[in-house]
Amino acid sequence: MLKRIYNGLPGPPPVRAGVMVVLLVLALMALALAFERAGDLIDNGGVIQ
Amino acid sequence: MKVVRILGWAMIWSGGLILAFLAYQLWGTGFITAQAQADAESQLESIFDNTIDQIQEAGLPVAPAVVGTAPDQGSDETAPVLYPEFAVDEGNPFARIISEKAEVDHIVFEGVRRDDLKKGPGHMPWTPLPGQPGNAVISGHRTTYEAPFADLDLLEDGDEITVQTATGAHIYTVREVLIVEPTDVWVTEPREGSWLTLTTCHPRRSARQRLVVFAELVDGPNFEYLYGASDTADGSDSVGVG
Repeated sequence: MLKRIYNGLPGPPPVRAGVMVVLLVLALMALALAFERAGDLIDNGGVIQ
Repeated sequence: MKVVRILGWAMIWSGGLILAFLAYQLWGTGFITAQAQADAESQLESIFDNTIDQIQEAGLPVAPAVVGTAPDQGSDETAPVLYPEFAVDEGNPFARIISEKAEVDHIVFEGVRRDDLKKGPGHMPWTPLPGQPGNAVISGHRTTYEAPFADLDLLEDGDEITVQTATGAHIYTVREVLIVEPTDVWVTEPREGSWLTLTTCHPRRSARQRLVVFAELVDGPNFEYLYGASDTADGSDSVGVG
């Protein structure tokens, strides 16, 4: 799948590689944020408000 | 056939993501808290010293035991004194909470925002500091982020909780343990005397309800001022809930 995205990107290989790195970092950040928010379902710190 | 293949891959990815999520929540988050606690451990003594300096600069009394001086022998030596304490900025460590029975020994941070509670138990900034008059509320994780309050349900009436702040060690005795809804803000309301209220999620691995522990001050720098002379160390003749 990663290879397909890479091949679908416009521009020369170095640019495509750079864009891939940025996309991967963004995807990991989104995943971490999603994990954190979903974590509130099992334990949100016990705050009462 | 293609649909089955897509469905199969979707299930494999979903399973992988769920496993990664659980691993991150149950173990990964603990590393974040462990690092924050280690950093705070090295800062706590200097934070205590800074707080004492601020109190002295403001011309307010400091508990003799903290500054290593003899108790004031002034003209009115029998009058107990309230030793005040200044709050630190949100996100900073300011106290240590210890309960042998609940296996709690963590540094407490000011604030109950998401980022504050990642570091350890957090003090609600709109409630008094531990050891001061009123109801000091401290919240903490029970499942994730090193789960400092994982075993809070083991506490019973009479169990001891100690909170060490810049003004000294404030010792509390558990008076009540109960389960409430997350919106039951009455548990944070002011109380007569000096109280410590601990809150965490209930049941474990769910944020559906809250486990609340009410503990009353039985010893510490401000005990005499708040409760007067007590016959017993456990404060059994102390002032009740307001």
